[in-house]
Amino acid sequence: MTFDGTFDDKGLSRRALLRGGAALAGGAAFTGLTGAPAMAADAAKPDRLTMLYATSEADSDAIKAALPAFKQAFGFDIALDTMPYNALQQKAFAELASESPYYDIMIVDTPWMPALTNKILPITDMILDPRANEGLDITDFIPKVFYDTAVYRRDNSALHFKDDAAIDPAKIKAEGFDIYGLPVQSNVLTMAYRKDLFEDAALKAAYRTKFGSDLAPPATWDEFAQVAEFMTDSAKRRWGTTLMAGTGDWATDDFKTLLAGFGGDGHLVSDTFEPVFDSPEGVKALTYYAKLIAKKVVPPGTTSASWDTAATSFGSGLTAMSMNYHSETLNPTVKGEIAYAMVPKGVARGPHFGTWMLSVNSYSKNKDWAFRAIKWFTSRETQTKALASQLHPTRLSVYAAAAADPGIVAKFGNFYDVLGQSLQVGVGRPRLTNYADIDRTVWVAVNDAARGAATPEAALKGAAAEVATLLQQAGYKRS
Amino acid sequence: MRRFLADTLFRLLLWGAAIIALFPVIWVVLTSIKPPELSQALPPVWDFAPTLQSYRDVLGGNTYTSQAFGTLLMHSLIVTVASTLLGLALGVPAAYALARFRFRGKRGTANWILSTIMFPPAVSVVPVFIFASKLGLTDTFPVLVVPYAAFNLPMVIWMLRSFIKQIPHEIEEAAMVDGASQGAVLRYIVLPLLMPGIVAASLLSAMLAWNEFLFALTLTRSAAKTAPVGISEFTNMYGTQWGSLTAAATVTVAPILLATLVLRRRLVEGLTFGAVK
Amino acid sequence: MTVVRTGLRARPAAARTRSTPSRRALKAWGFMLPAGALLLAMTVVPTLYLAYCAFRHEDLLGPNSRWVGLENFRHVLGDPNIWADALTTLQFVALAVAVEMALGLGLALMLSRKLAETDLLTALFILPLGVTPVVSALVFRVLLDPAYGWVDYYLQSWGLIDQPIDWFGEPFYAWTAVIGLDVWQWTPFVALILLAGLQGVPSEPKEAARLDGANALQLFWHIILPFMAPFLAIALVFRAIEAFKTFGSVFVLTGGGPGTSTSLINLDLYRIALQNFDIGAAAALGICFLVVLSLIMGRLLAVLNRNTDILED
Repeated sequence: MTFDGTFDDKGLSRRALLRGGAALAGGAAFTGLTGAPAMAADAAKPDRLTMLYATSEADSDAIKAALPAFKQAFGFDIALDTMPYNALQQKAFAELASESPYYDIMIVDTPWMPALTNKILPITDMILDPRANEGLDITDFIPKVFYDTAVYRRDNSALHFKDDAAIDPAKIKAEGFDIYGLPVQSNVLTMAYRKDLFEDAALKAAYRTKFGSDLAPPATWDEFAQVAEFMTDSAKRRWGTTLMAGTGDWATDDFKTLLAGFGGDGHLVSDTFEPVFDSPEGVKALTYYAKLIAKKVVPPGTTSASWDTAATSFGSGLTAMSMNYHSETLNPTVKGEIAYAMVPKGVARGPHFGTWMLSVNSYSKNKDWAFRAIKWFTSRETQTKALASQLHPTRLSVYAAAAADPGIVAKFGNFYDVLGQSLQVGVGRPRLTNYADIDRTVWVAVNDAARGAATPEAALKGAAAEVATLLQQAGYKRS
Repeated sequence: MRRFLADTLFRLLLWGAAIIALFPVIWVVLTSIKPPELSQALPPVWDFAPTLQSYRDVLGGNTYTSQAFGTLLMHSLIVTVASTLLGLALGVPAAYALARFRFRGKRGTANWILSTIMFPPAVSVVPVFIFASKLGLTDTFPVLVVPYAAFNLPMVIWMLRSFIKQIPHEIEEAAMVDGASQGAVLRYIVLPLLMPGIVAASLLSAMLAWNEFLFALTLTRSAAKTAPVGISEFTNMYGTQWGSLTAAATVTVAPILLATLVLRRRLVEGLTFGAVK
Repeated sequence: MTVVRTGLRARPAAARTRSTPSRRALKAWGFMLPAGALLLAMTVVPTLYLAYCAFRHEDLLGPNSRWVGLENFRHVLGDPNIWADALTTLQFVALAVAVEMALGLGLALMLSRKLAETDLLTALFILPLGVTPVVSALVFRVLLDPAYGWVDYYLQSWGLIDQPIDWFGEPFYAWTAVIGLDVWQWTPFVALILLAGLQGVPSEPKEAARLDGANALQLFWHIILPFMAPFLAIALVFRAIEAFKTFGSVFVLTGGGPGTSTSLINLDLYRIALQNFDIGAAAALGICFLVVLSLIMGRLLAVLNRNTDILED
């Protein structure tokens, strides 16, 4: 089956919609008789759909650029409101708490979802309905991303759907889970490095002399430390790497990436609600992290750095490497070239990841059309077009398309290639309604250890005890 | 001569202090006219070809945010002016009553008025949102005007009350003996004498309303979205769009500077009690 | 001076009343009513709703709302982090407000002296108050960044420091930055109130005192300060209340760090109320905050009342 063919013949083309519109009255009656859920073609076509979206964390540029094509395909507009990250969560929660039907489509970030399973519309039945799912091609989504982002149990939102196999909505439903949206933007920790420095003849020679091996982007955490130290030359205002050890979500995410890499459970909290990050692996990971900072292979200010300052540091040419959640750009004043690699490996590899999904507000008055719209926005065709404006695809086929497109390769180098590979091995967050508390406890511990205010052991032990209390208070009982 | 010397020294001191205090603002204005790629350069670049591109982008809506900034400024202006006027209209009579009348429960009332602003806004915004939403008021101007007036009311009342108490009561009495009503006294005698207080109170109210963030964020979507919410869109996990952000900040702070300049004379000249006594 | 004060204050009740006390009281309440109604609707009603929520697990996003008695209070008051952050908040308010009052008074006095350009200077000095707080916090953060900020760069190039200062990585410097930002932004608030208050100082006693040979300090202490007292009190009270509610600037500037060293109680409130959306626990903490703040402010007002007529009838 060619996706494009399906799309044109039976999917969301204008012709099909017109036909659907013509069949409206009869279709509605039919639905009523059979008791099947109301399907897109049957519901009255709205004047417009409203969408709440993230200003830049999920690349609103790409969505904005797709709006004319949407209008052409559907015959009506999307009214798009964007909000910056912190504001967005407040906005989304407040809208849902007041049962407002205003936004038909909402973008949802993974840490919010455990609280929202009663407010976001499960779309499992629509996905299973052959008349609604035309052109959806659900098995094209990256399975790991899909399960981590969109699959929840309504009666117990803390559970992960444990499966790595191809996506099977029927199986998801049979196991009591539901699908709550379609992944639209995948963020995962990747490593950017200055290709020009790694290929610099003098540096290569010096590295060879010093270590007896070739200078190359580090593949293991040991190499990473070694290369970072080698690249550091503070007199030239050049450091090995950025790290994001400031107080904020970013520090927790840095740590959980290392935790998974050193063989621990990158989810931080087990499915039986035990904090698992103060394990020997956790201590090793945090000790490694603190040591990098103590050795000053990172630019000054790393213990207060966040993802935006890390991007600025790398972009201003201050570091040879940087780990972040998006492609990087160098300031025009910095002459250099960027390439990407997966974050290094320890005994395992588990870069932190989190994906945004487009979901349907369960109070929307246009649920069927909203479903059609999110299907369109996450389709292979839309995602492929959005590559140029840095939407991080959620479909396997789009990564293949990115690799085959010389324009994209010229613009982003091997970024999409690395992104796609990293997503396959990413590790998400625990699913907790009070994750903000857990997150804060962990980042305080990471920050304390990073600036030497506490030993890694003590910091993690204290944090684990605190997390245990927090989990208990939130009603999560150890089983 | 000594006087001149003292004045010059005083002047130097004042201007020196002003430049230090204004440095962040100067940086903002400077960055807004810098080519964006130079905004983070170190050593700082002072010698550059100024450009108004950021202003054109921001005001024309050529940024990645969903609305042109000019629209948001207009929303801010409407909300600020309306809430300030509402605050004054309600605050002046209340302040007059608290300053000039004796009645049971007066002190308690004054304290209660003060206590209404003590609840942390991060918490109180949730019920306000839910009520507003149930009333269908989300994303309208009144949903900001009314809370802003309420936030500023205690300050307006307490400040004006102290001003009224400093106005010699004999003036009002004379008018009342002449047969003027309480309302007329308030309107024609007290109000003009109160000008410096009113100017100060409205400047403060207006600035707080102009820059309020949390309620504006939670209670609006796009039809009443205000400038501070729009500005915050220029910073995100990828970094900060310094050109857009500083241009937006400059056009947001300019009206405040203008208003203060215009009102400064009234703030200080208004009245001298020596003259009326 | 005594004469003037008497002139301002001595108001024989008989001379000023045309109507009976009860009718006057009625009129007073009439003047108060519109303001009172707005405050009642906008602040008291939500507070009552939150007081109700404080005893419930209020699940705004699901079906699990129920009465929980004092559990929310036990939960927030049993958390040592909350107590630590409450203490941090107190320190922050005391420090920031003290500095702002001192600088604000100085600024108001300087600006009350007439120069040709005083109007312009007033507008310029008040400007920081007009800068959107999110912007000021972001600007402070970028100026103080140890890797690419201007402050460390110039301090180094002028030879004042050897190593860049890690402003947000060490508690002492982080505090300096947080207090510095608050002082920068809010000193004009104090100055503006005091500047307006200065207009109420009558000129006659000033001149009389000058003729008696009083120097500037004596003039300030014996004439200006007593007249300014109510305005100092108002600036202090309102600034303190607002300082207790500080959130956005610290959230952007330090995020509570390093560690938890600048973690104000409002960061916890924000997390509980708007990220966890646990409105029950947030309301419980909010009510504790309200009670403590009212006690502090009540005490402060009582002290102020001894020295000013801020509450006097």
